[in-house]
Amino acid sequence: MEKNIAIKVENLTKKFRIPEHGSPNTIQERFVNPFSKKKMIDFTAVNNLSFEVKKGEFFSVIGPNGAGKSTLLKLISGIYVPTQGNILVDGKLVPFLELGVGFNPDLSARENVYLNGIILGLTKKEVDEHVDHIFDFAELKDFQDLSIKKFSSGMQVRLAFSIAIQVKSDILILDEVLAVGDGEFQKKCFAYFDEIVGKKTILFVSHGLASVKKYSDRVLWLKEDKTYEIGDPSEMVEKYSQTF
Amino acid sequence: MNNNDFDLYKQFVKTTFKMRYKGSILGFFWVLLKPFFMFLILFMIFSRVSGSATGLTSQQYAVYLLSGLIVYTFFNEGMIWGMGSIMERAGLIVKINFKRAVVVASSLTMALINFSINLGIVISVALILNIHITFLGLVYILLICFTMFLALYGISFFTSIWLVHVRDLQHIMELVLQLLFYASAVFFPVEMIPEKFRFIVYYNPVARFIKAVREALIYGRITDIKFVLVALVTSIILVVIGSGYFNKHIKKIAEHF
Repeated sequence: MEKNIAIKVENLTKKFRIPEHGSPNTIQERFVNPFSKKKMIDFTAVNNLSFEVKKGEFFSVIGPNGAGKSTLLKLISGIYVPTQGNILVDGKLVPFLELGVGFNPDLSARENVYLNGIILGLTKKEVDEHVDHIFDFAELKDFQDLSIKKFSSGMQVRLAFSIAIQVKSDILILDEVLAVGDGEFQKKCFAYFDEIVGKKTILFVSHGLASVKKYSDRVLWLKEDKTYEIGDPSEMVEKYSQTF
Repeated sequence: MNNNDFDLYKQFVKTTFKMRYKGSILGFFWVLLKPFFMFLILFMIFSRVSGSATGLTSQQYAVYLLSGLIVYTFFNEGMIWGMGSIMERAGLIVKINFKRAVVVASSLTMALINFSINLGIVISVALILNIHITFLGLVYILLICFTMFLALYGISFFTSIWLVHVRDLQHIMELVLQLLFYASAVFFPVEMIPEKFRFIVYYNPVARFIKAVREALIYGRITDIKFVLVALVTSIILVVIGSGYFNKHIKKIAEHF
């Protein structure tokens, strides 16, 4: 792979074999409907997609629901396996497909910082070093021992975001996690983004076209019919906006 | 296994441990209380009958019953928790790519922790009841436990994947394990089974493990060593094949939840 490329996607296709009426996961369902196998249909989520993301680039993906954005991110994150094609990733990649992955509502905030931080790839020692800073950044210093089911959703998201940004990575995958917290916390988040833009490679998926336009270097527009276009942010956003 | 994988493993064990008993007043003591009451019930009902059939004193029968119970419980929990491990972490698996085998290992560790505590208690009880435990016997018991742990680990590599595809396995497994409880001569001596049905015990590895543990614990006798060694080798093979199977099929698991 060329040196300045962070993510290279070649002829990527992902098909899911799905039964027509939900998935027959119990023997009863298979028994009641022994021919269910014949009713399996191939659903193409991503079709013959190729693109490259350069190192340090802010690359955004836009498109309507069902165009394959989330599937694409899961493929790049290694959660799904491609049906055809290749994905090459150079550098440590951290996916934030959802903030607060693995948060356990019954555990205290502090315990959740450890759990979530380690799930995201930190070592325990690294969490030890950063835990105070995380609570500072999240402005939740006084709530460390409270179980997070008592947190408001805004507080949970703030905590999750503060943990997420401690994870050292070369490539960040962000799925609609920008707009978190109240106005003041949002400012902090955007300040963080301003700081890392250009330093880290960012693959960003959002319906927030304004932030896509503001930050992106290039935009991939996935369409409902599984075709795609790559181009200049304002041009892509403009074209995409005209479809609705 | 890198640093993070190991930290993740420890974190999962810690969290599961905390969660399992959180919110209950007696908390962790339930680990001890549940088997204790099980023991009490079985002891009250069967001590006279089973004791006289085997020529065990009631002290010996207490240890006999306890050791059978804890070995069976270890197997039971290992099978159930190992099988459910991937399913249980479905929410995490579809969101982030971490080393999946960590989940299986941490679930089995839970069973191992419970078993270790239980074993400690049984040994203490045996000492209190003046049963002479030999060093060799103890080593043999540990070897048997290690063999069982490996077997559970190997089996879980398969069952944890299968459960995602066929959810019925949960219920089937519970049923099988319940049958196994009776087929393992946990609370009655093998001699009480009519001769023509004894093959059930003979071909049941759990029953033979239990028997070997009992002989070692109560009399300090090393019995059935050929079987234990064959089981050990089989378990190692099972772990190797199982981890291959697991690594091959785990990649696609996120699509099947």
